[in-house]
Amino acid sequence: MANVNTGELLDFQDYSPEHNNRSARIDVEAVHTNQYNNTMSNPNYTFDEPKTIEEPEAAPQTNHNFWTIEYYQKYFDVHTNEVVERIISSVLPQKVSRNYFDERIKGKPDLYGPIWISVTLIFTIAVSGNIASYLHNANKKGFVWRYDFHLVSIAATAITCYVWIVPLALWAALKWTSTTDGHDEIENQDAKSPTMMSLFCLYGYSLSIYIPVAVLWTIQVFWLQWLFVLMAAFVSGAVLIFWLMPALRKSRYFLILIGSILAFHFLLAAGFMLYFFHQPNTTDDTIVSTVKP
Amino acid sequence: MTSFDTKYDMYPAGDVGVVEGEMNIPTRGVPSGDSMEFNTLDEPIKETFLRDLRAVGNKFYHVLIPREKSSLLKEWDLWGPLLLCTLMATILQGTEVADNTNDGGPEFAEVFVLVWIGAAVVTLNSKLLGGNISFFQSVCVLGYCMFPVALSLVVCRVILFTTQTTFLFFLRLVISMIGFIWATFAATKFLGDSQPEGKKALAVYPICLFYFILSWLVVSHSNV
Repeated sequence: MANVNTGELLDFQDYSPEHNNRSARIDVEAVHTNQYNNTMSNPNYTFDEPKTIEEPEAAPQTNHNFWTIEYYQKYFDVHTNEVVERIISSVLPQKVSRNYFDERIKGKPDLYGPIWISVTLIFTIAVSGNIASYLHNANKKGFVWRYDFHLVSIAATAITCYVWIVPLALWAALKWTSTTDGHDEIENQDAKSPTMMSLFCLYGYSLSIYIPVAVLWTIQVFWLQWLFVLMAAFVSGAVLIFWLMPALRKSRYFLILIGSILAFHFLLAAGFMLYFFHQPNTTDDTIVSTVKP
Repeated sequence: MTSFDTKYDMYPAGDVGVVEGEMNIPTRGVPSGDSMEFNTLDEPIKETFLRDLRAVGNKFYHVLIPREKSSLLKEWDLWGPLLLCTLMATILQGTEVADNTNDGGPEFAEVFVLVWIGAAVVTLNSKLLGGNISFFQSVCVLGYCMFPVALSLVVCRVILFTTQTTFLFFLRLVISMIGFIWATFAATKFLGDSQPEGKKALAVYPICLFYFILSWLVVSHSNV
């Protein structure tokens, strides 16, 4: 009985009896797709029906409300191989084509990589920081080692600040210090200063090299730790500059910007290493005070 | 009624299905597969309670042996996740030791927040990737799939009552790793199909991370 009622309510009952039901339904769908597509050019839409249905799949509409999930879906529209390729491009730029950033990342920046690389880095640092502290203190007599969960919050604060503030500052710097040498229109189009989103994307991916390095930092050899700091900061900073070079060149403070990008990257790496992985020998008296009686 | 019947006959049976839909409200708390009609107003409280408990227990069973997928997805509830989360937070929370230094473990609320925010973020991630699953369904599955991790925590807690040796530490490590793999496997089994092809790994990775962090808490927890 319930079935019959819903059928009565939801059926299109106003069609004339001689009208074929199937064609009537296609008409209704056509009206709907037309509404979403805004195709004003072809009023006789009934003939190229399959095309208008497939179009929204190929190029999703971007006029969603800011507060809906659909608005953000365009930043997560990546496939597994794209993410892998972007991670590779942030470490080994020679593996991808020369204008990979301009062609791929600028046109379609994603937030999946930056967000999950940051989260992974936060917890990698917390876990391996604990391992480092254990290795450092394990062979001390009478010392009871305990893990410290609160490394997570410190690492999270540091990384979140870095990944948001530095690209924002760089974006502002690029925007307001760019000189428009408008002698060549086409070149201008090519080297337009990158959008905020693509900078977030680039910076997020550039953190990926720190994840394996954070694991390696657990080796308690001081010069080796510094070597890793220098190597990671240099490789990842150099790749950042490599991709941003066309935009940086247009800035008046070309050298200052390059210097500060590298400096911030180095500061981040050195800060991680010194705070989480390196325990100077001078703190022996504080360690003694935590020994259980 | 007769006028409707004649009209109804005009439509081919296959086409009516396009606009037809299930309109009955899913009843919460019934054990799956049991389609009895019930009236909960005049039944004893004990019966109501036991029925809900049985439903929760049934879901735990399906997490341990993840064979059929529909059991957890059909009727979500958050009772099981709440129980597991409270259990884990109670065991894992750091205790003040005598000389006023914390033992470094997370606070009760921190575990709670980690579990719920973690599940919400992982779910949001799969929604953003374009998965076709409802928000609470996914949170429910992620919560129930914590069961192996919680089990490994209980076992580790029992091991911790004895004198600790290096061998026992590795035993705890192995147990929590098993819990991690089991949980990830079950969650992937339930949630994996909701993602479009080519994005599956992207949706599974945060799930792995979520359970990995919980397992890290399990293996790091010690009472020394």
